[in-house]
Amino acid sequence: MKKELEHKFVTELQDNQNIVHKVCTLYTNDRDSHNDLFQEITIQLWKAYPKFRGEAKFSTWMYRVALNTAITLYRKSKKRIDTQDYESVLFKIKADEYDETEEQQLRLMYKAVRQLGDIDKALVFLYLEDKNYTEISETLGISEVNARVKMNRIKTKLRTILNP
Amino acid sequence: MTDELELLKRDWQKKEAELPQLSYEELHKMIWKKSSSIVKWILIISILEFTLPQLLIYLPSVGEPMKIYDHIGVSNYLFVLSLVIYVVALYFIFQFYRRFKEISVLDNSKNLMGKIIKTRRTVKHYIIFSLAMVMVTIVITLIGIYLNEDIIHIVPELAEGLKKVSPDKLRTTLMITMGILGVVLTLFIGGVYFLLYGLLLRKLNKNYAELKQLEF
Repeated sequence: MKKELEHKFVTELQDNQNIVHKVCTLYTNDRDSHNDLFQEITIQLWKAYPKFRGEAKFSTWMYRVALNTAITLYRKSKKRIDTQDYESVLFKIKADEYDETEEQQLRLMYKAVRQLGDIDKALVFLYLEDKNYTEISETLGISEVNARVKMNRIKTKLRTILNP
Repeated sequence: MTDELELLKRDWQKKEAELPQLSYEELHKMIWKKSSSIVKWILIISILEFTLPQLLIYLPSVGEPMKIYDHIGVSNYLFVLSLVIYVVALYFIFQFYRRFKEISVLDNSKNLMGKIIKTRRTVKHYIIFSLAMVMVTIVITLIGIYLNEDIIHIVPELAEGLKKVSPDKLRTTLMITMGILGVVLTLFIGGVYFLLYGLLLRKLNKNYAELKQLEF
């Protein structure tokens, strides 16, 4: 029984591990911390798995646990923002796919996003993952209206970082 | 700006394929590793906080000076006080356990943070209560010394050397020393304690305040 649950969990996690990798990339700045956070999220997912009844999609459920772990439960302090030793694939921009202005814009955008606070990052992350405001508000525990207000403020913040 | 965010979104989603992929075995190994989450730390530290002061009493080196309380005749009051302390401590432990059980990673972020802070607050109140009780003990002892006629015999070992000192002077010196020492020690322990927790929960408090600020 236990073995069966284990197998089911690991399989589902393997299929959806992108979500965890993306959260780790946003919230850490070097490879060790990335792996560390990935492991903590995996432990939290596994601990909560018996309570996962399948009324939501596994991936939806993962967003919540992964973000909660990154924002609240993960204890280690963050290293400095601009460490150059580690550049995740998520932040690499392939030059041939964009024209020069777009490439420059993307580079600045990624840099700006990494400078945001924990909560702001969560909103941007869910936005980039194409989540609607209902889902964003339910995940963070704020009202839909406030999620929109907050998102607009983040856009202003990003704009200020981009055009100082 | 909207365009730039849309551009970012497209790029972000395109990168999905390039992310690292862990194998089944690697993931399987991970699920049995030990968690080092803040909740686990709070549990460990809180258990220490609940038990350490109780254990200290049983150390002989701490138990010995308790005889002073016999000499100045406040043992009975302190016994009643310690009963009160035990009852209140049990209440705090029960409260802590109940709140701790409510913490769930499946909650939304705001509730999760709120519950962790509430659990932590229970222990904080317990510590404040304990420090207050230390103060009360000091006050009772001071009153005991003040009312004691036979002041020299409080510390029998020193009785010979103290014979030359006038009892009134001895009493005042003893009271001032004990009073200052007690207050300084209590404040010091309290200070270290709150500094420690301020640091441990700084990130959490900040994020919680940010989410709370949105709702009014």
